[in-house]
Amino acid sequence: MIKQELDVLEERSIYIIREAKMKFKNIAALWSMGKDSTAMLALTRKAFLGTVPFPVIHIDNGIDFPETYKFRQDLAKEWNLDLIVADSKIKPDIVGSACCGKNKPETLKKVMNEHGFDALIVSIRRDEHGIRAKERYMSPRDENFTWDYKNQPAELWDDYSSNMDKKGHIRVHPLLDWNEIDIWNYVRQEGIPVNPLYFSRDGHRYRSLGCTHCTVPLKSDAKSVDDIIKELETTADEERSGRSMDKEREYVMQRLRSLGYM
Amino acid sequence: MIVRAIALLGHKDHGKSTLIGSMLMQTGSATQVRINEAAAYSKKLHKSFEPAFILDSFSEEREQEMTYDTTRAQIKYKDLAFSLIDVPGHEELIKNMISGASYGELAILLVSAKKDEGIMNQTKRHLFVARMLGIDKLVVAVNKMDSVGYDENRFESIKSELSEFIDRIGFEGKNVIFVPISAYNGENLVNRSTRMGWYRGDTLADSVYNTFRTPTSNIGSGALRIIVQGIIDQNNNIIAGKVISGILKKGEAILLLPNRETATVKEIIVKGKKVNSAGVGENAAMIIDSDTKGELRGAVISGLKDSPEITDSVTARIFVTNTISNNSYIKFNGVDVKCLEIKVLDGIDTTTGKKTGRKTAEPLNAIDARVTFGKKLPVENYNVTKELGRFVLYSNNVFAGIGMITKIRQCI
Repeated sequence: MIKQELDVLEERSIYIIREAKMKFKNIAALWSMGKDSTAMLALTRKAFLGTVPFPVIHIDNGIDFPETYKFRQDLAKEWNLDLIVADSKIKPDIVGSACCGKNKPETLKKVMNEHGFDALIVSIRRDEHGIRAKERYMSPRDENFTWDYKNQPAELWDDYSSNMDKKGHIRVHPLLDWNEIDIWNYVRQEGIPVNPLYFSRDGHRYRSLGCTHCTVPLKSDAKSVDDIIKELETTADEERSGRSMDKEREYVMQRLRSLGYM
Repeated sequence: MIVRAIALLGHKDHGKSTLIGSMLMQTGSATQVRINEAAAYSKKLHKSFEPAFILDSFSEEREQEMTYDTTRAQIKYKDLAFSLIDVPGHEELIKNMISGASYGELAILLVSAKKDEGIMNQTKRHLFVARMLGIDKLVVAVNKMDSVGYDENRFESIKSELSEFIDRIGFEGKNVIFVPISAYNGENLVNRSTRMGWYRGDTLADSVYNTFRTPTSNIGSGALRIIVQGIIDQNNNIIAGKVISGILKKGEAILLLPNRETATVKEIIVKGKKVNSAGVGENAAMIIDSDTKGELRGAVISGLKDSPEITDSVTARIFVTNTISNNSYIKFNGVDVKCLEIKVLDGIDTTTGKKTGRKTAEPLNAIDARVTFGKKLPVENYNVTKELGRFVLYSNNVFAGIGMITKIRQCI
């Protein structure tokens, strides 16, 4: 896994986050309490003199891990976050990608409409998945949240799309260039708090965090951020190998993203 | 690790995605899961293993064997990392090609040696666009050498045919390297090919590596230039901007353009910390003693001397991607600025690099044009400060081209 220069990544992300705030009237960010979206909030605090000047949304299906809820409560207080918890109660008949593909996006649509958000910061990275690698830094979604991936806007130099469907919104991806190991190096450098589930307990840890239904822990003895960085320097496994929805069917990520999945 | 960005260029089906896929495999940069996945889909589509599928992730891309949109993949080579930017080769996807290639510091151009393929119009057009985007170093990979029996003569004839065009559009000979390869078979990519003993030069990976290792002279004047993003605090007194040239120093007098207001820098904050100066590439937050009423987004900060011209009229070279109408605007440093007139002075055929004498804007070709904006802007020639000398053109709200300012008309 290639370790990139944090200074370069950091400057680009700060630029994009500021650009999003300047460009759009009413933005919000998704916060899953995972390492990526928490690092994004740390970058936002650097961009805006220690504050997060927009609401952060947690799409809560009620089945996240207890550690995740505790982490949410503690950090929201410490960083003075304007937290919106969007209730997305899971029903017994919804399993696997139907939850991420339908339940969560429907809840997100509702909360976006209620608040009239015109842009949403999402902390995806290019190295996570081949489909995510095809994204722009700023990417329009229409009223139905559809990603028109066959006709993405031109995006060059520092000039990002603003030609959006009036009823739609723009997805902003400030972490697109980061690799998984860069996030962990940044967590270490900046002392960013992370969810304890990332650390090994009884020989297992979570490398990628979803909810309790579709995330499985991987074998690992990494008990600290240093251990995790060492582990990533040698592993041949994929980050999202513990996420069941990625492998249910062919092109499931493409289908999910085109339907509005984050 | 320093990551250097490389744009892949070339006509469709000349092997851009395949090349990146093979480079990922040969440098051990693709995970086994990605390789297995690409292998499974190759099998499903009744094909032998297709390295391009590591990059082409959309179902449509695999089924139609074409790249729709740009993507990137990283490889490690010696003490550098390369970010390989894949772009589509199809004419109608030129918008996506420009989006990808604009991030490249160097280009690898793919030319197929196969009979009936060779140098195509799109091969030359991609080169023309890359040069306009400021890419001045080039590695030409003459691909599919396996299909011509690794014939030296075929390689040499493509080299001589293309060299004249490369020279005409402004690449310097010393910055251009030709390498014969087979992307599919992995010949001369990372390891030397045993089938082309007649070729004495470096492999593709080493050609790229050595180019990056050669120091380049810095262009630009070094004068202070900051592009202002806007105000970032609720009390309305902290300005955010990116330093694109020079050094911003605490206590110094600055000029806010285009309004030409003077001010003094009272405080500089970079990444949350108070500092005495900010340099190129840094996103600075500034407190200045100015009560400017002017629009700050898109404004430019310079020193009192050596400041950019303020004008509403420039001459620019524009690569045209779509019909240009009277309803046009440019995107320039974060703001949309209406174009009152785009007067074509001459056309340029992007497949020959020569002027056509036709005063019309034709998609996929270039024009030299006089552009009049709806307001005065701080600008510089592209070859002096590229960020203040380039723009993206929209016509009827559709991406219509990219422009580089070549001449500034002084305002009276």
